[in-house]
Amino acid sequence: MVNRLVAEHVAFEYSNGLAALVDASLELARGELVAVIGPNGSGKSTFLRCLAGLLVPKSGTVVVDGEDVVTLPPRERACRLAVVPQFLPRLPDVRVQDFVLGGRYAHLGRWRSATQHDRAVVRAALSSCDAADVESRLMSELSGGQRQRVLVARAIAQEAGVLLVDEPTNSLDPEHQLAVFRSIAELVAGGRSALVVTHDLNLASQFASRAIVMQAGRTITEGPVDRVLTREVLEPVYGPHLFFGRFASGRPIVVPWADAR
Amino acid sequence: MNSNARRVRLCAVVFVILLGALFFGSLCLGTTVRFSPAEAWRGLLSLLGLGEALETASRQTILELRLWRALVTIGVGAALALSGGYIQGLFQNGLASPSLIGVTGGAALGAAVAVLIVGGYAPRLVLESLGGNAYLIPLFGFAGAFGTTALVVYLSSGGGRTSVTSLLLTGIAVNMCVAGLFAAIQSLTLENWEVSRAILAWTFGTLDDRSGYHAGVVFSGLALAAACIPFTAVELDLLKGGEADAQSVGVDVKRLKWLAIFAAAVSAAAAVAVAGQIAFVGLVVPHLVRLAIGASHRVLLWLSMLGGAVFLLGAEFAQRWLLGDSALQPGVVMALIGGPFFLVLLVRERKEITAW
Repeated sequence: MVNRLVAEHVAFEYSNGLAALVDASLELARGELVAVIGPNGSGKSTFLRCLAGLLVPKSGTVVVDGEDVVTLPPRERACRLAVVPQFLPRLPDVRVQDFVLGGRYAHLGRWRSATQHDRAVVRAALSSCDAADVESRLMSELSGGQRQRVLVARAIAQEAGVLLVDEPTNSLDPEHQLAVFRSIAELVAGGRSALVVTHDLNLASQFASRAIVMQAGRTITEGPVDRVLTREVLEPVYGPHLFFGRFASGRPIVVPWADAR
Repeated sequence: MNSNARRVRLCAVVFVILLGALFFGSLCLGTTVRFSPAEAWRGLLSLLGLGEALETASRQTILELRLWRALVTIGVGAALALSGGYIQGLFQNGLASPSLIGVTGGAALGAAVAVLIVGGYAPRLVLESLGGNAYLIPLFGFAGAFGTTALVVYLSSGGGRTSVTSLLLTGIAVNMCVAGLFAAIQSLTLENWEVSRAILAWTFGTLDDRSGYHAGVVFSGLALAAACIPFTAVELDLLKGGEADAQSVGVDVKRLKWLAIFAAAVSAAAAVAVAGQIAFVGLVVPHLVRLAIGASHRVLLWLSMLGGAVFLLGAEFAQRWLLGDSALQPGVVMALIGGPFFLVLLVRERKEITAW
């Protein structure tokens, strides 16, 4: 398998001296959906931002399709890597279709006006995320769940080989959690790669082929989900209050368990 | 065509018609002489080398002066409003104006220094004084405005990054320093009637007795700033979801900031350099245009330019018509209109502000 995204010994320090990332590495192959899990504050989102080229690592390298993300020109980077943020710090006062069209920015021509093709890609992305019905609404009018799906749609419209997804299911009901993961899985089946930072171990279990565990700014374990989502690996990381089970498929189930021990 | 595109087109057409009418009206109207529209038209043609001059040379001269005044007014209004459009887009705040990044304060300081060198300033003196002196005040005003902005940007960028918050805070601090220096010059020259009067007059702004040189300065700045629109408009739209978000879809945020600040500084600096301090055009016009046609910078910036020209030329024309010649300087008129307007904005957006 060809590795699309390779990160080696990435470290990052915020300007206040906080070492959010100490030593993180990963490999992501074509057609692979990998989950990054770990407790709050373990550096998952910082790692994702370093992978996306939004933060410049203090040391270590991130290479996408053979190119260093730090030195790639922003538009070329956006053609290879698309980010689905957890939330937007500010809600833009634009319509959903125009917001998703923003995902086409890196593909726009010299005069930066959208073509019929761009608009078709936007429509297709919206309907693949079950959000076609809100395309004329303002971003500020959407519910949390709709907003999340629109963010995924924009990343799809970006047509990048690698999707970096930060906590996509936080504000979604179970049906829409599945819908978002399904649309990501569909893209992966079509040959793209996705890295999903998530707290939802059970969705990771069902959709990811591998899981990477982070703790205190380090990637400590990685492997197929049924070997990572085990008591031996997770108890030292999350603590003892976990209940383990299995889906009918044999994939692991991990839920918080108040009565443990 | 959707309703917004129609509104944009309507807005543009109204602005162009108003601008044409006001321009022509400004040629006809004045204290000394009133021209009939036909006469003004003939004089205009002759200035363009397309017809005979008016009967008396003095009438022709008056027309020529009014032409420059009108052109400079158009340029100044357009440049200030465009600058405001950039600044509001960059700060993502409809209450931001070019003075935030030090343009206005810097221009005042530069002009005051030039006045000290020339030893006095009055509209006529600028026009009539000999040699380099005539060019000194606009030149220093421009240098002060641009230099101060550059200082703000330099001081606010640490580690290769310029955050909008630190830009804002540095702008406030540098504005204070510059205002302090300006006040010091004013206080030291209190005894010198000519000089202190000149500095004071500059702060009121003036559009009288402008020449082709002034028009050249302001339109050069305007042209440079307008040339940046195709490289910044889509990007400013994408900035609405935050800097990291814009970066993730491929916007070169660092370049965008530099370009937007450059464009805002160069156009506002050119405007204040030739006309003195005229506040509020940069705040009010982009805000109103945004209310009318929405917030896409691809049309907002162009229409702000047109709107700024209409707004300032209209205010000048109205006060000449209603109050007679030079009843009030343009800076004063704008302050009188702008203060209450700003208050209305604050009240309207109170909800947003209390959410900070």
